[in-house]
Amino acid sequence: MALLEVENLRAGYGSVPVLHGVSLNVEEGSNAVLLGLNGAGKSTTLMTLAGLLPATGGEIRYDGKPLTGSPGARVRAGIVLVPEGRLVFPALTVKQNLRLGAWTIRRDARRVRRNLQEVYQIFPRLEERADQTAGTLSGGEQQMLAIGRGMMSSPRLLLIDEASLGLSPKLTEQVFAAVKLINQRGVTVLMVEQNAGVLAQADTAFVMQQGRVTITGSGSETLADDVVRAAYLGV
Amino acid sequence: MGAFLALGLFQGAVYGLLAVGIVLVYKAKRVFNFAQGEFGGVAAFTAFAIVVGAGLPYWVGVVGGLAAAVAMGLIVERVIVRPLESSSRTIMLVALVGVALFTIAIIVLLGQPIPRVMPPLISGGGVNILGAGILPQQLILMAVLAVLAAAMAWFFKTDMGLAVLASSQDTRAAQVVGISPVAVSRLVWGMAALLGGIAGLLYAPVGIFTPGFMTLTMLVPAFAAAVLGGMTSLPGAFIGGLAIGVVQNLGIYYLGQQLKVPGAAELGVFALLMLVLLIRPQGLLGKEA
Repeated sequence: MALLEVENLRAGYGSVPVLHGVSLNVEEGSNAVLLGLNGAGKSTTLMTLAGLLPATGGEIRYDGKPLTGSPGARVRAGIVLVPEGRLVFPALTVKQNLRLGAWTIRRDARRVRRNLQEVYQIFPRLEERADQTAGTLSGGEQQMLAIGRGMMSSPRLLLIDEASLGLSPKLTEQVFAAVKLINQRGVTVLMVEQNAGVLAQADTAFVMQQGRVTITGSGSETLADDVVRAAYLGV
Repeated sequence: MGAFLALGLFQGAVYGLLAVGIVLVYKAKRVFNFAQGEFGGVAAFTAFAIVVGAGLPYWVGVVGGLAAAVAMGLIVERVIVRPLESSSRTIMLVALVGVALFTIAIIVLLGQPIPRVMPPLISGGGVNILGAGILPQQLILMAVLAVLAAAMAWFFKTDMGLAVLASSQDTRAAQVVGISPVAVSRLVWGMAALLGGIAGLLYAPVGIFTPGFMTLTMLVPAFAAAVLGGMTSLPGAFIGGLAIGVVQNLGIYYLGQQLKVPGAAELGVFALLMLVLLIRPQGLLGKEA
């Protein structure tokens, strides 16, 4: 069953439209990838799903019901965005960042503790750096922290915006592996990427061009697509 | 000289309280809150009306005064700050100057522009500490400050306090984890107003007070204190306030009384501000960038 159904979604900034009718379905428990070049509308799509931008048309259905409400309400419903550029809280410690990730479930101390243990298990690096301020972390560690923070509220659907941005190939691989692990633990993942390498682990892939989804297929099919290979792998 | 030092610390603590409120709002909104002084003005006049006007017990005046200040903070947040959220900081600043002037005008209309005397919470003679006569009011101030400092230190370790810090570091990221910017904004303005109210209640009984006394005499030194502390540091703002209070009064003592220099207090403050900004442009406890 599709956890997320997006039908003809339109959105933009002020009077500038960016999304001209995006349609995609993400199955419960799957790892989906939204591939596109700069300016295709990938981040705009995720921001609209997270409630940070208003939709100007179309429909989003989550868990079978129309999705509306504030960003906070959507986090409580289980939709969590890991934003582009990481956006950790630089002057707070790693542990405080993670604590704030659990903001919506903060009254359930046991669940917060359990989630913290789980995040430390996935990213042992974060436990080593627990009392360091987030601003002093490397780019890769900050990305781990941003994803870990997203995991703290027990999400059902994790929206990850360009986790590989600015990371070395080795770190990118590590971050992708961590996302795969998170997905295997039952969290539905929708990743936005420009790096076509991620398609290898994707169940479903969507390719976006100029505010529309132009190709939909399985990860391996899409990786073999001539258009995709020319645009993203230069072959 | 001991008396000048004690007076300086007392005045400085009131500047510091206002400065902490100014920094709190600045960190969250990047705006200079020119209405900060009038939170104290409203608290002082409300308490005066309750204690002297209606003859009710002092504690009712204190609670009423602080409640009035917090109510004003929440109204300013809702009616002025939130609608201007996306406009330029200059417009917001001018609007806040307007709030201060409007509040003073309301106080003049409701009361009379005459000087008032607020009785101190505990009257009676001073105690002698290190050769300086310390008034009971000043002892109360010390107790209030100790409690406030502990409360603030505790608050910023709670989830709610962390949410305020997080929101001022990155509003978008705070929204991403589900923190409501509106709730944080209300909380920040409520706290700033409470601090301003406390400053007003502590300062009003010191001498006579007239409408606008907080804005006219306390606001500029409080801004200097906030800048001195680095504009983004709460402890820095308070220490800056103490420093300005002390320098003002030592200036009066050394330059004014002994060397007969006119405007000695202001001279001392400007010299201190210039010196700190030359040596540490980021302020005493401010972080660079």
